[in-house]
Amino acid sequence: MSQSRSTQSSNRRVWLRALLYAVLLVFVVYYLLPLYVMLVNSFKPLDEIRGGNMLALPDLWTLEPWKAAWSSAQIGVQPTGLKPYFFNSIMMVVPAVALSTLLGAVNGYVLTKWQFPGHGLIFAMILLACFIPFQIVLIPMARVLGILGLAGSTPGLVLVHLVYGLGFTTLFFRNYYAAFPTELVRAAQMDGANFFQVFWRILLPSSGPIIVVTVIWQFTNIWNDFLFGASFADFDSIPMTVALNNLVNSSTGVKEYNVHFAGAILAALPTLVVYVVSGRYFVRGLMAGAVKG
Amino acid sequence: MASLKLQNIRKQYNKLEVLKGIDIEIEDGGFLVLVGPSGCGKSTLLNCIAGLEDTSSGDIKIGDKSVVDLHPSQRDIAMVFQSYALYPNMNVAQNIAFGMEMRGIAKAEREAAIARVAETLQITELLKRKPSQLSGGQRQRVAMGRALVRDPQVFLFDEPLSNLDAKLRVDMRTEIKKLHQTMGTTIVYVTHDQIEALTLATKIAVLKFGELQQFGTPKEIYDQPKNLFVAEFMGSPSMNLMRARIEEADGALVAKVEADGDEALVLPLVGQEALAAHKGKEVILGLRPEAITDQASASGQDQERVLLKTCKINVVEPAGSDTFVTTSLGGKEVIARLGADAVVSAGESMPLAFNMAKAVFFDPSSEQRIG
Repeated sequence: MSQSRSTQSSNRRVWLRALLYAVLLVFVVYYLLPLYVMLVNSFKPLDEIRGGNMLALPDLWTLEPWKAAWSSAQIGVQPTGLKPYFFNSIMMVVPAVALSTLLGAVNGYVLTKWQFPGHGLIFAMILLACFIPFQIVLIPMARVLGILGLAGSTPGLVLVHLVYGLGFTTLFFRNYYAAFPTELVRAAQMDGANFFQVFWRILLPSSGPIIVVTVIWQFTNIWNDFLFGASFADFDSIPMTVALNNLVNSSTGVKEYNVHFAGAILAALPTLVVYVVSGRYFVRGLMAGAVKG
Repeated sequence: MASLKLQNIRKQYNKLEVLKGIDIEIEDGGFLVLVGPSGCGKSTLLNCIAGLEDTSSGDIKIGDKSVVDLHPSQRDIAMVFQSYALYPNMNVAQNIAFGMEMRGIAKAEREAAIARVAETLQITELLKRKPSQLSGGQRQRVAMGRALVRDPQVFLFDEPLSNLDAKLRVDMRTEIKKLHQTMGTTIVYVTHDQIEALTLATKIAVLKFGELQQFGTPKEIYDQPKNLFVAEFMGSPSMNLMRARIEEADGALVAKVEADGDEALVLPLVGQEALAAHKGKEVILGLRPEAITDQASASGQDQERVLLKTCKINVVEPAGSDTFVTTSLGGKEVIARLGADAVVSAGESMPLAFNMAKAVFFDPSSEQRIG
């Protein structure tokens, strides 16, 4: 009697589990379908896309769309492919991420371990920067870049992203360092370490998780930014996202969907790589401070 | 090594005064313990000596040199923190050598110093480990090593044993005492544990609400507390405090303590003439638990000043080496300390010997000691 009841309940549990997995599977397919379509069609010749099923695997596998997207597709008026713009983006993203992370770390250090009168107010104002919509700063920023002589240049874009990112990076580091024991800073001071030695030798080496979080956050945001790139870049500093738009929206000739798909994947690849390489630190970093030890 | 002199140290946070004029002087090689309940200002005072907090006024002298305007790193002091504050990203050797590295001392010299300190503290086999791989006691040793290697004028300890379990705490206490005896360095040590204070110190400063209550040797603090606070705070179990009245009986001074539902306890006052001024007044009589014992334990005491009285025992607490019993006198619980083999059970009556040679008296309103 009791045995049959327990079999019954375990049967029910199996069914519920199966249902759960079925629902999850539907969602997985739903989310992965666009990526699948992009991947599959980027390896097809154009004729096959126009003539056949979008979901089918290629009859004839070809790398031509990838090569074209990378080095020969028409972007705006020049047949350069995405290559030069990819490097424009790298030249913009790397210094912007590095500088905003470093400055955010210094800000967090000062706001927690070298508190001065009014530090709370300063932090609140920096925090406010996180909530300012991009569009509001476009015109003032254009004016500032003009005055500084950085308009239309890669350093100008670096500056824009650096300033815009500081609110977030400062927030991340301040909260991380708030949980960092102040006694360590005091011990280092008594050992004779100065302001920057304490920072370089004691705090920064213990900041791995939060550095990863900040770098991923900043890299993704800056790499994916379209508005600032479209607004402030000149011909020789156009980032990847804007170039991709120019590729897809070029009005001459036929729409080369396979090249567009390949280009879009190329544009998304770096952020994907960053996530895969450091994703597990990302979660760990977000949880840091939540549990002691 | 050097003496340490604190002169009228004051510290204010906005309107709140947390140190109200502290004067302490400890000789070269002395062991000063700052003790008091939480919030008494003892850690603030230590931080002021370290230079981690500024004083509002007053002077701090190490040797003959005023250090009050110097940066912590230039005061020639070393500090052991409550949380040990070991740098988590460095191994033990790097932790110990960090201060020397910051001072630009050559690598060979650093290595020699590390080896010397590691041997003293028996942590040589731990030198390559990270702090996270050490036990509490080992971290404690490394923290002490980091202080020792500097060979400073004064060591500062901020509640160094409070994170250890009871057994280890006693072991480390002995080791710190041993270390002090072999090195002979001046030490300032903060604790809230009065037993640590009594066992380690050559001089104790008892603090309360930022005021120095008493400054003296452990024996002075224990036997001649200046006021009720010191009397109650130091010693475990704490001193018995009973209401008593000073009276004259047969031409001699006595202290009379009301016993609940029993004939009053009349204690002789021999050699305490100062109390004559309080004749007829109410005072507070303080007797440590060991001054109230069974007859066998009292045999060695000055019999002229010992009074026997039969008391009803309410609670019996055997503690291995002693047996503590509780009786009721003057409306209060009174703890007596008997020999380990005393045979008594709760509810019985037994004669207790009150040793008045150890008695102290306080004024109930001013709470100061009067005799």
